[in-house]
Amino acid sequence: MGRPSSRPGLGKRSARFRWKRWLLFALLVGFAPGLAEARTRYEEHVVALSVTYQAWDEDRPWAKMNPATRNASAVVIAGPFLLTRAQIVANATLIQAERRGDAQTWTARVVHIDPEIDLALIQVDEAAFFEGLRPVKIAKRIPTEGSVTSVRWNARQLEISESRVSTIEVGLNRYGNVEHAFLEVRTDFASGGWAEPSFDGAKLVGLTSSQEDQRARIVPAEVLRDYVERVAEGSSTSVPRLDLLWQNNQDPSLTRYLGFEEEPRGILIREVRGSGTACSVLESRDILLELDGHEIDSIGNYLHPRYGNLRFTNLVAHRRPGEVIAARVFRDGREQEVEFELKAYPSQLRRVPWRRDNSPPPYLVAGGLVFRELDGEFLRTWGSEWASNAPRNLAIQYYLYGHSTRPDQRRAIVLSSVLPDRYNIGYHDVADMITTHVNGIPIDSVDDLVSAFAQPQTDANGEPAYHVVRFAPNSYLAELVLDARTFEEASARIADAYGLPATVRTGPPEEPDIAFDCEAP
Amino acid sequence: MGGLADMQSNAGKLTGGTRIGAFLVCLALALGSAVLADADNRIEASIVRILTHAQPGSAYAPWNSSAPQQSVGSGFIVEDGLVMTNAHVVSDTRALFLYLSGDPTPHEAKVRWVAHDCDLALIEPLEAGLLDGKPALQFGELPLLGSAVETYGYPSGGQRISSTRGVVSRVEMNLFSHSGLDYHLAVQTDAAINPGNSGGPVLQNGRVVGVAFQAATGLENVGYFIPPSVVRHFLEDVEDGNYDGYPALGATTATLENPAARSRSGMREDESGIRVDFVFPQSSADGLLEPGDVILGVDGYPVSNDGTIMEGDLRLHFGVLLDRHQVGSPLELRVLRAAERLTVKVPMQAYAPLRRYANRYDDLPRYYIYAGLVFVPLNREMLETFGEDWASVADKHLLNEYFERFMADPDRILREPVVLLRRLDHPANVSLAWYRNLLVERVNGREIHRLEDVIAAIEENRDEFHLLEFGYYKRFGVIEREAADEAHLQVLESYGVPVDRRL
Repeated sequence: MGRPSSRPGLGKRSARFRWKRWLLFALLVGFAPGLAEARTRYEEHVVALSVTYQAWDEDRPWAKMNPATRNASAVVIAGPFLLTRAQIVANATLIQAERRGDAQTWTARVVHIDPEIDLALIQVDEAAFFEGLRPVKIAKRIPTEGSVTSVRWNARQLEISESRVSTIEVGLNRYGNVEHAFLEVRTDFASGGWAEPSFDGAKLVGLTSSQEDQRARIVPAEVLRDYVERVAEGSSTSVPRLDLLWQNNQDPSLTRYLGFEEEPRGILIREVRGSGTACSVLESRDILLELDGHEIDSIGNYLHPRYGNLRFTNLVAHRRPGEVIAARVFRDGREQEVEFELKAYPSQLRRVPWRRDNSPPPYLVAGGLVFRELDGEFLRTWGSEWASNAPRNLAIQYYLYGHSTRPDQRRAIVLSSVLPDRYNIGYHDVADMITTHVNGIPIDSVDDLVSAFAQPQTDANGEPAYHVVRFAPNSYLAELVLDARTFEEASARIADAYGLPATVRTGPPEEPDIAFDCEAP
Repeated sequence: MGGLADMQSNAGKLTGGTRIGAFLVCLALALGSAVLADADNRIEASIVRILTHAQPGSAYAPWNSSAPQQSVGSGFIVEDGLVMTNAHVVSDTRALFLYLSGDPTPHEAKVRWVAHDCDLALIEPLEAGLLDGKPALQFGELPLLGSAVETYGYPSGGQRISSTRGVVSRVEMNLFSHSGLDYHLAVQTDAAINPGNSGGPVLQNGRVVGVAFQAATGLENVGYFIPPSVVRHFLEDVEDGNYDGYPALGATTATLENPAARSRSGMREDESGIRVDFVFPQSSADGLLEPGDVILGVDGYPVSNDGTIMEGDLRLHFGVLLDRHQVGSPLELRVLRAAERLTVKVPMQAYAPLRRYANRYDDLPRYYIYAGLVFVPLNREMLETFGEDWASVADKHLLNEYFERFMADPDRILREPVVLLRRLDHPANVSLAWYRNLLVERVNGREIHRLEDVIAAIEENRDEFHLLEFGYYKRFGVIEREAADEAHLQVLESYGVPVDRRL
C-alpha cells in the first residue's frame, strides 16, 4: 500500500486519494495482525489440490492418454465450496484436497465447471474437511498498486509471496479464449500459475491464471464474484461476446473519409459476425463511440474509474447474456443511439471450437479412416506452437474459417489418419484432410458421417458399391473411394486388429441456445 | 497422390520449401578435399573454375540491391566455345570469371543461356577464341545403376582440380532445389559432391554422363547429378535461340492403388492408371482433360496405378515422359472418360502462373511504391521475408491465398495477388491502421488482379482520398490523395529509393 505507482494514469488518480490511503494504512498498521496471525488466516482459506487427470488421446480419439497428476490450489468460499480454475480439474479422474498441511487427503468432486471463464467449484462431501477452514470474502475491487499476498501450499508448508502489482489490463484468457481484465503481478513463486489465491489483507483478490518467469496473471475478484453469484443463482455463467472485427480509429483522414468531422475517437467496426451480440445492430464501417455509457477512445479503450484505460471488450465481460446495453455510433453522417441484447457465444458454437468442454472427442473410424471433429484440442497436439507446426490447411481452418457462417453449421470434419489395412490400400499416408462430403452428402458432424456412410454410391447396375470421401479443394487429393460391399467386414477387422473399443462416438446433441439474427456477410 | 508440382514437373507435392532436403553445391570457401595429383590432362584441360559475384534482389527492400556475394563453381567445355555449368553458379551474376586449368588468369565471361527450372547454364568467355584448341567434352548416356562414375571440379575453393569416384546408387525424379519447384530426373551417387563441385562434369569412360548439382543435407555421401536427358532437353530448347523451359501438363493427379477407386473410375481389371483431380485454367490440359478422367497411358507407355512407368529397367514417375517434350510438342494421352477410351493429344505449353511458387533469379523483384506504401506481388520471395520456415509461420491469410484458395476458385491462379508489404513512414501515411503483409483486395473500388491494377487505381483516381481495402479480415484505410502525392517524392528521396516502380 501507499507505494507510488509507476503508471502515469494511476499516479494522477492516486494523488487525489492519497490522504485516504494514508489513513487506511495507519488503521491497518494499527490493527494489523502479526505474520503468525496472517499465516493462520491463510491456512484457513487456502487448500492444496492433487488432481489425477487423464486427457483424451486426440490422435486416437477412442483412447485416453497416460494418467498424470497436477498440484494446484483452491480457496474456500461461502457455501462452503472450493473455488479453483477449470483447467485445474479438467479431465480429472480423482481430485484430492489437502488442508492445513495435514497428511490426510479428502476426495473432492466438481460441482460446477465453466471452461470458458476457466473457473470451477468443487466440493468435499465430508463435513469434517471444512472444520478449521473458513470461507474467504471475495474483494469488491482489486488493488491498483502496491502488492497482493499470494499463497499456496508447497510440500505441506504454507508459502507466501508478496506479489507486486504491475498492471491491470484486458487480455485473452488462454484456457477459455474469452477476454476480460487481468491483474498482472510480479511474484516470488517458482513455477506458479496453478490457481494460487492472492489476497489483499483478508480478502481474496484473485486466482493465478498463468505465470511466465516471475510475471503472473491473476483472474481478478470481479470475475470470481460474477461467476460465484451466477452459479448460486443457477443462471448461465457464459460471458457475452460482441464478436466484432474492429480496428483503431486514430487516422484523421479515415474519419474524415467517413464524414466524421471531429478528432478521431471511437473504434471502427470492420465486420459484425452473424452469431454475435451486435449482429444486425452494429454495422460494418460504423464508428463505435460509446458502449454502455462509456466513451471509447480511438484505440479501443475506455476509462475505468479505478483501473484506468481498459479495452472496451471488458465492458461486456461483466454483463450477463440477456441484458440490454446501449451504444452510440456514428453512421450515415450522424451520431445515433442503438441498443442490443447481449448474447453468449460459447466456443462450442464455433465451427472450429477452441475447447471441448471436458467431453470426449467425437469420432468415426470407417474402413480404417479416422474421422474426427476439428477443434483446438486436436490442433494443440502439435504443441504450443501449433499455429505454425500443425498442418497448414488445418491451422487455416481455425484462423480463417473457424466461425460458423450459418445458424445450422457445426464442425469442420478432418480425416486425421488411416489405420492401414489391405482394404484401404493406397490411402495409408492420407492424413489431416478436411472432409466436406461423403457419398455426395455434405458433412459437418460425426452424426452426418454416420448417416452418409449408410448411403453408399451405386455402381453401373444400381447396386450399392462405393463409399466416396470428398475433401476440401486441395492440391493433394480430391477424393478417395472405398469398396462399400466389404466395408462392414473390413471395418470390423480393422477395429479388432487395432483394438478399438468402439468405432464411433457421436457428439453431444447440440441445440444452439442463441439464434443467428442475421447471416454473416 | 498428385500435387501442385505435378503441374510443373510431374512428381511430388508442393511443400513450400520447408522440407526440401538438398543444398546447392555452390559457395566454396572452406578448405578440404584432396587434390587429384595425376588427373587426366585431357579431361583437366576441359574443366574450368568459375568465379561469380552475384547480387540477388532484395524482397523486403525491392528497390535496393543486396551486397554482392562471391562464390565458386565448376564448368566444362562443350561445343561452340561454350562452357556448361549450373544455373545456380551464375544466377544474379554481376561479374563472372572463368579460370582455365593451370592458368591463374581470370577470363571474364557472360551467360549465354540459363535454365533455372533445370539448373543448367551455358556461359562463354568474352575473349574470342579463348577456348579454341581446348577439347570439348562429349556427352554419353544415362549410366547404369551400380556403375562407377567420377566427378570433376573445384570443390571447397581449391585452385586445383579434384576428382572423386563413386557409384550410381539411384535414378529417380527429384526436386531441383535451385528452383524449389521443379522435379526432373536426377542421378544419386556416393561420389563426393561438395560446394564448388556445382556445374562440374560427371564422367564415365571419358564421356559426360551428368552435371553435378546438389547434395542431400542430413545424409552422408549423397550427391546428385543431372543426367544427359535433362542436359539434352536444355540444349535442344535453346537451339531456336530462345529458352522456353519445360512445358507443364496443367493437371494434378491422384494415384489409384485402391481397387475400389479403379472400379468406380470405370477401369477394367487389366487396366491401370491415375485419376485427374484438378485442371488448371488456361494450362496445356485445360479443355482437354477433365477432373475424373483416368490417364491410362502416356506417349505409348502404360501408366501404373501408382503413377509410374517402366523405362528399360527403371521404374520412374510418369513425369519423366512429360519432361521429354519441348514447348509446342504434343503429348499423347490414353484417357478413360465416362466409360470411353480416348486418345487425347495435348500440345504442351509452359504455365507461367506456377512460377510464383519457384525461386526467382536474374529478374529483380516487381514492386510499386506510392507515398511510402510498398506493394509487391504475392510470390515465394515475398513469403520468404517471413524467414526460413515461411511456409508455416507466414500470415495465415497469405498462405491461404498462395497455396489453397485457387483450388476452390481456379481462375484466381491467373491473377497476381498483390500484397502491401510495408510502409516507409511519412506523416502522410503514418496514421494508417494497417500497413504490413496485407493482401490488397481493392484500391479505390477497383479489384486488384495484378500489380499494374494498383498503379492504375492510384494514378487514375481524382477523389479526395485513396481507399485501400484488404482481403480476409475486411481491414481498410485511406490516405489523402493530395498529401500523398506530395509525400510521394519526399519518401523516395528520404528513403533512398531510386525509382518508385519496377514492373
